[in-house]
Amino acid sequence: MSEPRDELILDRLIHEPGRLAILTVLSSVRDADFVFLQRATGLTKGNLSSHLTKLEEAGLVEIEKRFVRKKPNTNVTLTAAGRQRIAHHWDQLERLRNLSSMPAEQ
Amino acid sequence: MQRGNLEAAAARYTYLRGLFGIPLGVLIILVALVNWGACPLWAFPGAVAAAGAACLPIARYYNANYGRITPSAGQQARGAVAAVIGVAVLAGVWLLLRGRADWSLDLPVNAFAVAWALFMLISCAIYVGFRAHHVIIWGALLVAGALPVWHGEDPTSIGLVLAGAAVMMSGVFDHRLLVRTFGPPGPLDREDSDVGA
Repeated sequence: MSEPRDELILDRLIHEPGRLAILTVLSSVRDADFVFLQRATGLTKGNLSSHLTKLEEAGLVEIEKRFVRKKPNTNVTLTAAGRQRIAHHWDQLERLRNLSSMPAEQ
Repeated sequence: MQRGNLEAAAARYTYLRGLFGIPLGVLIILVALVNWGACPLWAFPGAVAAAGAACLPIARYYNANYGRITPSAGQQARGAVAAVIGVAVLAGVWLLLRGRADWSLDLPVNAFAVAWALFMLISCAIYVGFRAHHVIIWGALLVAGALPVWHGEDPTSIGLVLAGAAVMMSGVFDHRLLVRTFGPPGPLDREDSDVGA
Protein backbone atom coordinates (compact mmCIF):
# COMPACT_ATOMS: atom_id res chain seq x y z
CA MET A 1 0.00 0.00 0.00
CA SER A 2 1.36 3.47 -0.85
CA GLU A 3 2.05 6.06 1.88
CA PRO A 4 -0.40 8.96 2.21
CA ARG A 5 0.62 11.90 -0.01
CA ASP A 6 0.52 14.51 2.77
CA GLU A 7 3.43 12.77 4.52
CA LEU A 8 5.65 13.86 1.66
CA ILE A 9 4.95 17.58 1.95
CA LEU A 10 8.29 19.34 2.29
CA ASP A 11 8.99 21.81 5.07
CA ARG A 12 9.10 25.15 3.20
CA LEU A 13 11.07 26.90 5.92
CA ILE A 14 13.85 24.34 5.73
CA HIS A 15 13.67 23.59 2.00
CA GLU A 16 15.08 26.99 0.99
CA PRO A 17 18.66 26.15 -0.21
CA GLY A 18 20.44 28.62 2.09
CA ARG A 19 18.60 27.48 5.22
CA LEU A 20 18.94 23.82 4.22
CA ALA A 21 22.72 24.30 3.90
CA ILE A 22 22.96 26.09 7.28
CA LEU A 23 20.99 23.39 9.11
CA THR A 24 22.89 20.58 7.37
CA VAL A 25 26.24 22.06 8.41
CA LEU A 26 25.00 22.62 11.97
CA SER A 27 23.72 19.04 12.16
CA SER A 28 27.28 17.71 11.80
CA VAL A 29 28.88 19.86 14.54
CA ARG A 30 27.97 20.78 18.11
CA ASP A 31 28.11 24.51 17.32
CA ALA A 32 29.65 26.82 14.74
CA ASP A 33 30.28 30.55 14.50
CA PHE A 34 29.09 32.98 11.84
CA VAL A 35 32.40 32.98 9.93
CA PHE A 36 32.44 29.20 9.63
CA LEU A 37 28.82 29.09 8.49
CA GLN A 38 29.57 31.72 5.88
CA ARG A 39 32.58 29.72 4.66
CA ALA A 40 30.73 26.42 4.60
CA THR A 41 27.56 27.66 2.91
CA GLY A 42 28.99 30.38 0.62
CA LEU A 43 26.23 32.81 1.66
CA THR A 44 26.77 36.57 1.94
CA LYS A 45 26.76 38.14 5.41
CA GLY A 46 23.35 39.71 4.76
CA ASN A 47 21.77 36.49 3.50
CA LEU A 48 23.25 34.38 6.28
CA SER A 49 22.12 36.86 8.90
CA SER A 50 18.59 36.97 7.50
CA HIS A 51 18.32 33.16 7.28
CA LEU A 52 19.64 32.76 10.83
CA THR A 53 17.05 35.21 12.13
CA LYS A 54 14.25 33.21 10.47
CA LEU A 55 15.63 29.94 11.84
CA GLU A 56 15.96 31.43 15.33
CA GLU A 57 12.38 32.75 15.21
CA ALA A 58 11.21 29.26 14.25
CA GLY A 59 13.08 27.79 17.23
CA LEU A 60 15.42 25.72 15.05
CA VAL A 61 18.69 27.37 16.10
CA GLU A 62 20.00 29.25 19.12
CA ILE A 63 22.17 32.29 18.53
CA GLU A 64 24.62 33.46 21.16
CA LYS A 65 26.35 36.80 20.68
CA ARG A 66 29.57 36.92 22.67
CA PHE A 67 33.03 38.48 22.72
CA VAL A 68 36.13 36.40 21.99
CA ARG A 69 39.41 38.27 22.59
CA LYS A 70 37.42 41.53 22.67
CA LYS A 71 35.95 40.87 19.22
CA PRO A 72 32.24 40.17 18.68
CA ASN A 73 31.51 36.57 17.79
CA THR A 74 28.17 35.02 16.87
CA ASN A 75 27.85 31.37 17.80
CA VAL A 76 25.03 29.21 16.45
CA THR A 77 23.71 25.91 17.82
CA LEU A 78 21.03 23.63 16.40
CA THR A 79 18.16 23.10 18.86
CA ALA A 80 16.70 19.65 19.50
CA ALA A 81 13.69 20.65 17.39
CA GLY A 82 16.00 21.85 14.62
CA ARG A 83 17.95 18.60 14.68
CA GLN A 84 14.72 16.61 14.42
CA ARG A 85 13.30 18.80 11.62
CA ILE A 86 16.43 18.69 9.44
CA ALA A 87 16.78 14.91 9.86
CA HIS A 88 13.10 14.46 8.95
CA HIS A 89 13.48 16.79 5.97
CA TRP A 90 16.42 14.84 4.55
CA ASP A 91 14.43 11.61 5.08
CA GLN A 92 11.58 13.14 3.10
CA LEU A 93 13.92 14.16 0.28
CA GLU A 94 15.39 10.66 0.25
CA ARG A 95 11.91 9.13 0.06
CA LEU A 96 10.99 11.45 -2.80
CA ARG A 97 14.13 10.45 -4.66
CA ASN A 98 13.36 6.77 -4.13
CA LEU A 99 9.77 7.28 -5.32
CA SER A 100 10.95 9.08 -8.44
CA SER A 101 13.31 6.23 -9.29
CA MET A 102 10.57 3.57 -8.93
CA PRO A 103 9.07 2.29 -12.20
CA ALA A 104 5.69 3.90 -13.00
CA GLU A 105 2.58 1.77 -12.31
CA GLN A 106 1.11 0.20 -15.43
CA MET B 1 23.28 20.82 -2.89
CA GLN B 2 25.41 17.90 -1.77
CA ARG B 3 24.38 16.89 1.74
CA GLY B 4 27.43 14.62 2.17
CA ASN B 5 29.86 17.35 1.10
CA LEU B 6 28.45 19.89 3.58
CA GLU B 7 28.47 17.38 6.45
CA ALA B 8 31.95 16.07 5.63
CA ALA B 9 33.42 19.57 5.27
CA ALA B 10 32.10 20.55 8.70
CA ALA B 11 33.20 17.28 10.30
CA ARG B 12 36.73 17.45 8.85
CA TYR B 13 37.39 21.15 9.44
CA THR B 14 39.26 20.70 12.74
CA TYR B 15 41.58 18.09 11.26
CA LEU B 16 42.27 20.06 8.08
CA ARG B 17 43.81 22.99 9.98
CA GLY B 18 47.12 21.53 8.85
CA LEU B 19 49.46 24.44 9.60
CA PHE B 20 49.58 23.14 13.19
CA GLY B 21 51.62 20.27 11.73
CA ILE B 22 54.59 22.56 11.05
CA PRO B 23 55.56 23.35 14.70
CA LEU B 24 54.76 19.72 15.61
CA GLY B 25 57.03 18.44 12.83
CA VAL B 26 59.84 20.78 13.88
CA LEU B 27 59.48 19.52 17.46
CA ILE B 28 59.72 15.86 16.34
CA ILE B 29 62.87 16.64 14.35
CA LEU B 30 64.30 18.45 17.36
CA VAL B 31 63.90 15.26 19.42
CA ALA B 32 66.13 13.53 16.84
CA LEU B 33 68.72 16.32 17.11
CA VAL B 34 68.73 15.96 20.91
CA ASN B 35 69.18 12.17 20.49
CA TRP B 36 72.17 12.76 18.22
CA GLY B 37 73.65 15.26 20.65
CA ALA B 38 73.43 17.99 18.02
CA CYS B 39 71.17 20.00 20.31
CA PRO B 40 71.45 20.28 24.11
CA LEU B 41 68.69 18.63 26.14
CA TRP B 42 67.95 21.85 28.03
CA ALA B 43 66.89 23.46 24.75
CA PHE B 44 63.98 21.05 24.41
CA PRO B 45 61.57 22.61 26.97
CA GLY B 46 62.22 25.97 25.31
CA ALA B 47 61.43 24.44 21.93
CA VAL B 48 58.17 22.98 23.28
CA ALA B 49 57.23 26.45 24.57
CA ALA B 50 58.20 28.01 21.21
CA ALA B 51 56.11 25.43 19.33
CA GLY B 52 53.18 26.17 21.65
CA ALA B 53 53.64 29.90 21.06
CA ALA B 54 53.75 29.31 17.29
CA CYS B 55 50.36 27.58 17.52
CA LEU B 56 48.70 30.77 18.84
CA PRO B 57 49.00 32.84 15.62
CA ILE B 58 48.04 29.75 13.61
CA ALA B 59 44.87 29.32 15.71
CA ARG B 60 44.15 33.03 15.34
CA TYR B 61 44.60 32.81 11.55
CA TYR B 62 42.16 29.89 11.24
CA ASN B 63 39.61 31.40 13.64
CA ALA B 64 39.65 34.76 11.85
CA ASN B 65 39.54 33.40 8.30
CA TYR B 66 37.60 30.14 8.60
CA GLY B 67 35.74 30.41 11.89
CA ARG B 68 35.28 28.27 14.97
CA ILE B 69 33.36 25.06 15.49
CA THR B 70 32.92 22.59 18.31
CA PRO B 71 32.97 19.07 16.86
CA SER B 72 29.92 16.91 17.47
CA ALA B 73 29.96 14.37 20.30
CA GLY B 74 30.33 11.58 17.72
CA GLN B 75 33.32 13.29 16.12
CA GLN B 76 34.93 13.85 19.54
CA ALA B 77 34.40 10.19 20.41
CA ARG B 78 35.95 9.14 17.08
CA GLY B 79 38.95 11.38 17.84
CA ALA B 80 39.40 9.80 21.27
CA VAL B 81 39.11 6.27 19.86
CA ALA B 82 41.61 7.15 17.09
CA ALA B 83 44.06 8.52 19.67
CA VAL B 84 43.80 5.51 22.00
CA ILE B 85 44.10 2.90 19.23
CA GLY B 86 46.81 4.92 17.47
CA VAL B 87 48.98 5.28 20.59
CA ALA B 88 48.53 1.57 21.42
CA VAL B 89 49.61 0.62 17.89
CA LEU B 90 52.51 3.11 17.98
CA ALA B 91 53.89 1.68 21.22
CA GLY B 92 53.09 -1.96 20.41
CA VAL B 93 54.59 -1.96 16.91
CA TRP B 94 57.66 -0.01 18.01
CA LEU B 95 58.40 -2.49 20.81
CA LEU B 96 57.51 -5.54 18.74
CA LEU B 97 59.74 -4.69 15.80
CA ARG B 98 62.81 -3.43 17.60
CA GLY B 99 62.38 -3.18 21.33
CA ARG B 100 64.49 -4.38 24.25
CA ALA B 101 61.86 -6.86 25.43
CA ASP B 102 62.43 -10.61 25.07
CA TRP B 103 59.49 -10.93 22.74
CA SER B 104 60.79 -8.28 20.37
CA LEU B 105 61.39 -9.54 16.81
CA ASP B 106 64.49 -7.34 16.55
CA LEU B 107 64.08 -6.86 12.80
CA PRO B 108 66.41 -4.66 10.73
CA VAL B 109 63.63 -2.11 10.16
CA ASN B 110 63.07 1.45 11.31
CA ALA B 111 60.53 0.59 13.98
CA PHE B 112 59.68 4.19 14.87
CA ALA B 113 58.99 5.15 11.23
CA VAL B 114 56.77 2.07 10.76
CA ALA B 115 54.95 2.63 14.07
CA TRP B 116 54.39 6.35 13.42
CA ALA B 117 53.14 5.71 9.86
CA LEU B 118 50.65 3.12 11.18
CA PHE B 119 49.59 5.51 13.97
CA MET B 120 48.82 8.24 11.42
CA LEU B 121 47.11 5.89 8.96
CA ILE B 122 44.86 4.51 11.71
CA SER B 123 44.11 8.00 13.06
CA CYS B 124 43.20 9.28 9.58
CA ALA B 125 41.07 6.23 8.83
CA ILE B 126 39.06 6.55 12.04
CA TYR B 127 38.85 10.33 12.37
CA VAL B 128 38.56 11.83 8.90
CA GLY B 129 38.88 9.09 6.30
CA PHE B 130 41.79 8.77 3.91
CA ARG B 131 42.68 11.42 1.37
CA ALA B 132 45.17 10.70 -1.43
CA HIS B 133 47.99 12.66 0.22
CA HIS B 134 47.58 10.74 3.50
CA VAL B 135 47.99 7.42 1.72
CA ILE B 136 51.01 8.66 -0.27
CA ILE B 137 52.85 10.37 2.62
CA TRP B 138 52.17 7.85 5.37
CA GLY B 139 52.40 4.92 2.95
CA ALA B 140 55.84 6.14 1.81
CA LEU B 141 57.00 6.45 5.44
CA LEU B 142 55.68 2.96 6.18
CA VAL B 143 57.50 1.45 3.19
CA ALA B 144 60.73 3.36 3.94
CA GLY B 145 60.66 2.19 7.55
CA ALA B 146 59.78 -1.41 6.69
CA LEU B 147 62.63 -1.89 4.21
CA PRO B 148 65.08 -4.36 5.81
CA VAL B 149 68.07 -2.05 5.41
CA TRP B 150 68.23 -0.54 8.89
CA HIS B 151 71.10 -2.63 10.29
CA GLY B 152 73.50 -1.50 12.97
CA GLU B 153 72.83 1.47 15.20
CA ASP B 154 69.32 2.22 16.49
CA PRO B 155 67.70 4.13 13.60
CA THR B 156 65.04 5.80 15.78
CA SER B 157 66.50 9.28 15.29
CA ILE B 158 66.39 8.97 11.49
CA GLY B 159 62.81 7.70 11.90
CA LEU B 160 62.02 10.81 13.93
CA VAL B 161 63.40 13.07 11.18
CA LEU B 162 61.38 11.23 8.53
CA ALA B 163 58.23 11.35 10.70
CA GLY B 164 58.71 15.07 11.44
CA ALA B 165 59.13 15.86 7.74
CA ALA B 166 56.05 13.75 6.93
CA VAL B 167 53.97 15.53 9.60
CA MET B 168 54.88 18.92 8.11
CA MET B 169 54.21 17.76 4.55
CA SER B 170 50.88 16.20 5.46
CA GLY B 171 49.94 19.39 7.34
CA VAL B 172 50.65 21.54 4.29
CA PHE B 173 48.52 19.27 2.09
CA ASP B 174 45.71 19.24 4.70
CA HIS B 175 45.81 23.05 4.72
CA ARG B 176 45.67 23.15 0.90
CA LEU B 177 42.64 20.87 1.04
CA LEU B 178 41.00 23.19 3.58
CA VAL B 179 41.61 26.19 1.29
CA ARG B 180 40.19 24.27 -1.69
CA THR B 181 37.13 23.29 0.38
CA PHE B 182 36.35 26.61 2.09
CA GLY B 183 38.00 29.13 -0.24
CA PRO B 184 41.11 31.28 0.06
CA PRO B 185 41.62 33.33 3.24
CA GLY B 186 40.53 36.93 3.11
CA PRO B 187 37.42 39.06 3.25
CA LEU B 188 34.17 37.12 3.07
CA ASP B 189 31.87 39.91 1.98
CA ARG B 190 30.44 38.90 -1.33
CA GLU B 191 27.37 41.11 -1.29
CA ASP B 192 27.21 41.04 -5.08
CA SER B 193 26.43 37.32 -4.90
CA ASP B 194 22.84 36.18 -5.14
CA VAL B 195 23.43 32.85 -3.41
CA GLY B 196 20.52 32.04 -1.18
CA ALA B 197 18.63 35.20 -2.10
